[in-house]
Amino acid sequence: MSTERSLRAVAAYLVLVAGALVTVAPLVLSALTAVKTPGQFANESSVAAPHPVTLDNFRAVLEQGLGRAVTVTALMTVCITAGQLVVSVMAAYAFAHIAFPGREALFWVYLGTMMVPSAVTLVPLYLMFAKLGWLNTFWALVLPFLFGSPYAIFLLRQYFRAIPGEIIDAARVDGATTLDILVGVVVPMSRPILATLTVITVVSQWNSFMWPLVAASGARWQVLTVATANLQTQYNAQWTLIMAATTLAIAPLVVVFVVFQRQVLRSIAVTGLK
Amino acid sequence: MDRRRAAVGYALLLPSLVGVGCFLLLPIAVVLWLSVHSWNLLGPIEFSGWDNWRSVLTDRRFGHSILVTLALTAIVVPAQTALGFAVAAMLARRGRGSTVLRVMYALPWMCAPVAVGVVWQWIFAPTGGALNALLGERVEWLSSPALALPAVAAVLVWTNLGYVALFFVAGIRAIPGEILDAGALDGAVGWRRIRWLILPLLRPTMFFVLVTGVLTVFQTFDAVYALTRGGPDHRTDVVGMRIYSEAFEAAHPGRAAVMAVVVFAVMFVITLAQHRYFRERVSHEY
Repeated sequence: MSTERSLRAVAAYLVLVAGALVTVAPLVLSALTAVKTPGQFANESSVAAPHPVTLDNFRAVLEQGLGRAVTVTALMTVCITAGQLVVSVMAAYAFAHIAFPGREALFWVYLGTMMVPSAVTLVPLYLMFAKLGWLNTFWALVLPFLFGSPYAIFLLRQYFRAIPGEIIDAARVDGATTLDILVGVVVPMSRPILATLTVITVVSQWNSFMWPLVAASGARWQVLTVATANLQTQYNAQWTLIMAATTLAIAPLVVVFVVFQRQVLRSIAVTGLK
Repeated sequence: MDRRRAAVGYALLLPSLVGVGCFLLLPIAVVLWLSVHSWNLLGPIEFSGWDNWRSVLTDRRFGHSILVTLALTAIVVPAQTALGFAVAAMLARRGRGSTVLRVMYALPWMCAPVAVGVVWQWIFAPTGGALNALLGERVEWLSSPALALPAVAAVLVWTNLGYVALFFVAGIRAIPGEILDAGALDGAVGWRRIRWLILPLLRPTMFFVLVTGVLTVFQTFDAVYALTRGGPDHRTDVVGMRIYSEAFEAAHPGRAAVMAVVVFAVMFVITLAQHRYFRERVSHEY
């Protein structure tokens, strides 16, 4: 009985490891292709190990505008993440701890907007930004997402409600302003959920594609995902170059994941990420 | 005093109200407005009554794209849920290296879907692609009408599997040990334990995984854009792709607005139906 069970456990473990290897294989293969010379890629099997290892592909795509795209993407991600966190904390605190007329109704409106798919807002947002003459600007990338997200507000509100009202009242009696309370009490007590939200926002903004594709496809404010998709058509089948671009788009988040694996795994389990 | 409190409340809410108002509620109004106007992205916008609605609702290609999306959802969601559960059942034991394994499985979910799409386009490439190099055969994965949709589905399952598994792992680990021990005394071990103990207890997780699965697959765009652009012969023309091409390639944003409204309605109905179904099942169980 026990040998049978341990045999089964070993078999399950082997299946699990094999599955994990198959899961990461495409990413590993693309990174290996990115460091191959075009000559080796053309003459040998496309799954052969790279020799010599070269960084020329990266150099080439970075010079082709991908370098600028990395900067734009990073800037966009930082701005949106900062904006969303600040605005969402403020709103969630109001919903959780301040009584005002219309609070419940407004909260339901916010919840309702979480159901709106991005495909629905895509065309009207394009129309709005076109009429304002703001297409192909940095603002087009960040404005729609800068002012918080209903999803983040919802998550934070749930968390803030667990903070006892007595702590907040005591601080107010001591003369603390709302800002003091937010910075001194609420934010320090909510570090885990704020870390989770930061991860979610960074990942979803770094990866966002549909809106940047229509709002800022010009060379100046292209983000990394859009630039990668453009290179795909431009460098038709020059796979060593194209894989250098995808590696640049994917690698930073893989590093984030490996460094902050605990937080990220928890973020996925708590929220589903995105 | 209370008035002042309320004012503080509104002040804190103001920035998010700007965001929700301008970038979520206003676009919904604009999409309805645009659906009865014609525009070519550059010229003037003109009222056109029900023209867009009439032409979209009788448009074979739009109907086809809804069917493609439903087919894709029908392949991907059951596959990723079953595989994700199987992986989770093995992954839930806190064995050696379980964190490393979880990271490996969840990795694709972190990656930009469009970059993932480009990577897989290379893997599926007829010449120089990794898959055909391994198989030693020349198969036209993405350009053959019969294989394109299953290939796209495979990429989506690959992307979502680890994330689905992590949810089930969290659900399984939340089941109190006493319940499993008591079940073991009654002979609930191995497969029987999964079928009669773990699966019923995981109903809420299952609900979440299925609903988010259907909603995300239904909105697929990035991966399809990189893999096939909706081809070959519209075999992978999901609604997200259709709306994009109608608005920005065919330059008929008014028609795309109609499609967006229809998609919104379909997704609303799906969410509601799933809610109903699961609420009944869950309330009967306990």
